[in-house]
Amino acid sequence: MRIHMEFLGLSRLAAGAKEITLDLEEGTTFRDIVRTLGTRYPDMIGNVIQPDGETLHIPNIFNLNAKRMIQAGQMGDSPSDGDRIILMSISAGG
Amino acid sequence: MHGYSGKILHIDLTTRKTRVEQKPEAWYKIYIGGVSMASRLCWENIEVGCDPLSPGNPICIANGLFAGTPVPVGGKYGMASKSPLTGFIGDSMSGSWLPVALKRARWDGIVIHGASDEWVRILVDDDKVEFHDASHLVGLGTTETEEAIREELGDDQVRSATIGPAGENLVRIANVSNDGRKAGRTGHGAVWGSKKLKALSIRGTHGVGVADPETLTKLSFDILQAAQGPHTQKYRILGTSSNVLNMNKMGLLPTRNYQQGVFEDAEMVSGEYLHEHYKAKTIACAQCPIACEQVGQVKEGPYAGAMGHVEYESLYALSSNCGVSSFPAVIQAITNCNELGLDTMSSGVTISWAMECYERGVFTKEDFKCEKYPEGFEANFGNGEAVVTLTEMIAHREGYMGNLLAEGTRRASAQVDEERGTETYKWAMDIKGLECPGYDARTLKTFALGLAVGTRGACHNRTAAYDPDIKGQVDRFSVDETRGELAKSTEEYAAVYDTLPLCKFIRRCFTGKADRAGAWPAIAQLINATTGWDFDYDDVDRIGERAHTIKKAFNIREGWTREDDHLPYRWQHDPMETGPSAGYVVTDEELEYLKDIYYEAKGWTNEGLIPKEKLIALGMDDVAEEIGV
Repeated sequence: MRIHMEFLGLSRLAAGAKEITLDLEEGTTFRDIVRTLGTRYPDMIGNVIQPDGETLHIPNIFNLNAKRMIQAGQMGDSPSDGDRIILMSISAGG
Repeated sequence: MHGYSGKILHIDLTTRKTRVEQKPEAWYKIYIGGVSMASRLCWENIEVGCDPLSPGNPICIANGLFAGTPVPVGGKYGMASKSPLTGFIGDSMSGSWLPVALKRARWDGIVIHGASDEWVRILVDDDKVEFHDASHLVGLGTTETEEAIREELGDDQVRSATIGPAGENLVRIANVSNDGRKAGRTGHGAVWGSKKLKALSIRGTHGVGVADPETLTKLSFDILQAAQGPHTQKYRILGTSSNVLNMNKMGLLPTRNYQQGVFEDAEMVSGEYLHEHYKAKTIACAQCPIACEQVGQVKEGPYAGAMGHVEYESLYALSSNCGVSSFPAVIQAITNCNELGLDTMSSGVTISWAMECYERGVFTKEDFKCEKYPEGFEANFGNGEAVVTLTEMIAHREGYMGNLLAEGTRRASAQVDEERGTETYKWAMDIKGLECPGYDARTLKTFALGLAVGTRGACHNRTAAYDPDIKGQVDRFSVDETRGELAKSTEEYAAVYDTLPLCKFIRRCFTGKADRAGAWPAIAQLINATTGWDFDYDDVDRIGERAHTIKKAFNIREGWTREDDHLPYRWQHDPMETGPSAGYVVTDEELEYLKDIYYEAKGWTNEGLIPKEKLIALGMDDVAEEIGV
């Protein structure tokens, strides 16, 4: 399956790209995608991705198709072919 | 008593006399500091029912408990008056060195009464109070005024809060500035202007005592170290302006006066673009190790030299919401607001309303005549120069349009509708008179409730209910029975931070978890090491409920009714046509249901009034006597 991955904020700075396309095997989970990103973009480890390489640093989060946030308990779920995943970090307060 | 002096300084501008009020420790345990204590001082000192721009409306300043201590992000204070924009409580929080000076001068708060006949500046010099002529400062910008006072006193350690021309001209969206930071919302600048108070300066020379310095230093050092890690990295590198693209992707970025939620040029006004092209430096509030404030500088073109503090809320208001994709024009508009003393959010939203009126034919080019453009100008969305010029016109009440917009969105639309027989109120994006923040609430249903019931009107920071919506902890597109409790919980959570005050950006640095369980025990330790008290989780939690309650009580006494908890017409009747938020509004049925379950969660009556027993349980017996039911 093919998914579109967008980077916003720190993840964009670490990736040096706004958007990439990932060709993945069926059944690939969101957690697998975090691992893939950590391998491809080591600069994400430590700030966007935790040192374990498979967990996003709060409050970095996957947004699916601009509608739904993928919660920690849903990282074992799989995206669908054609999905757009946005890696973002929401700021609030001050 | 540790952490407090036990003294409130009262200054009367009419009589030029001062008095000192002693407060008991029990009073501090209830109201703590910041916006809560400032609101309580306003409750105690206002002439009930007064015109906000009359001498009966006091300026109430309450220090932060941690100002002047080692506690990171604790260099903050609260300010409260009756808002000239809303007619209800106007409470602001600001971070600067002013509260540190106030703590060193050994005052827990200052209440400024009355009004002066002539322009005046006040100097609080430890326990002395001096009144100085300020006529030569009139017309100066906020930074210029601070610098002029330092020069006059020959002391660069004196700290000042000032107003710019907007406050002098009683612009209802004017703010108060200190060290470049703002007590920004609800029109404090106009209250100062109505008293002919140009500046309040403080020089404090005493040490700051706390109950357990060793423990407080240790706790503070741990927080400081955590604040250098990943919990705050996004704030340090990109600041809040990184929210532009986040909101745009979700269809929540206010665009062209909230007609759309997706701005096609969002990349051009994003935090990422700022970082790459216009970032000059980052700066920090007092006692802050994070330094989130991104300073943008324009180096060439018509706005060369403009240098402004670029926050997300300033960005949405003056860029996407006005359809402007020129970052230099936005930085110039922010710079104008900062120096002229205008709230960037209310300015941008009021200007965007005027732009929509222009595009829909309510206004013509002639309505925009000014000295700079004697024939007027085209005020279409996207015209950055129009936004820049309108900030100047508003601050000086210049021309028909400057004078109109200086009243804020609600009053301006009411005036135009009366004069021209139009229905521009349908495009007026305010709640209780305060202009809306940078998150479209048509698909943030918990947030919509939080904004509607907000005591100071449309404030994202006071409700904080966008957090569960945006982060997907609930379905943001729908309403359910959990939202009343959720809106209560988030507003009281935020009120704890606004009362101490601590910047909310530190919230993950206590234990790594930002929720109550992660933060309250650590905050209790900070309070106890500062004061010698024995606060626990529940005591910290009650800080927020009490803070919110005193503000609500203030509003009830000023005539608040359930109908005042409303949303802008557009969010209820005018769905977006495109983007992820297309097709949604908050219906009347949804809003009334949300209000019902919110009042129930708060333990209030269905009309939103507070039972006496509820107030008494919070230790507010005198408040119960006046407004309890």
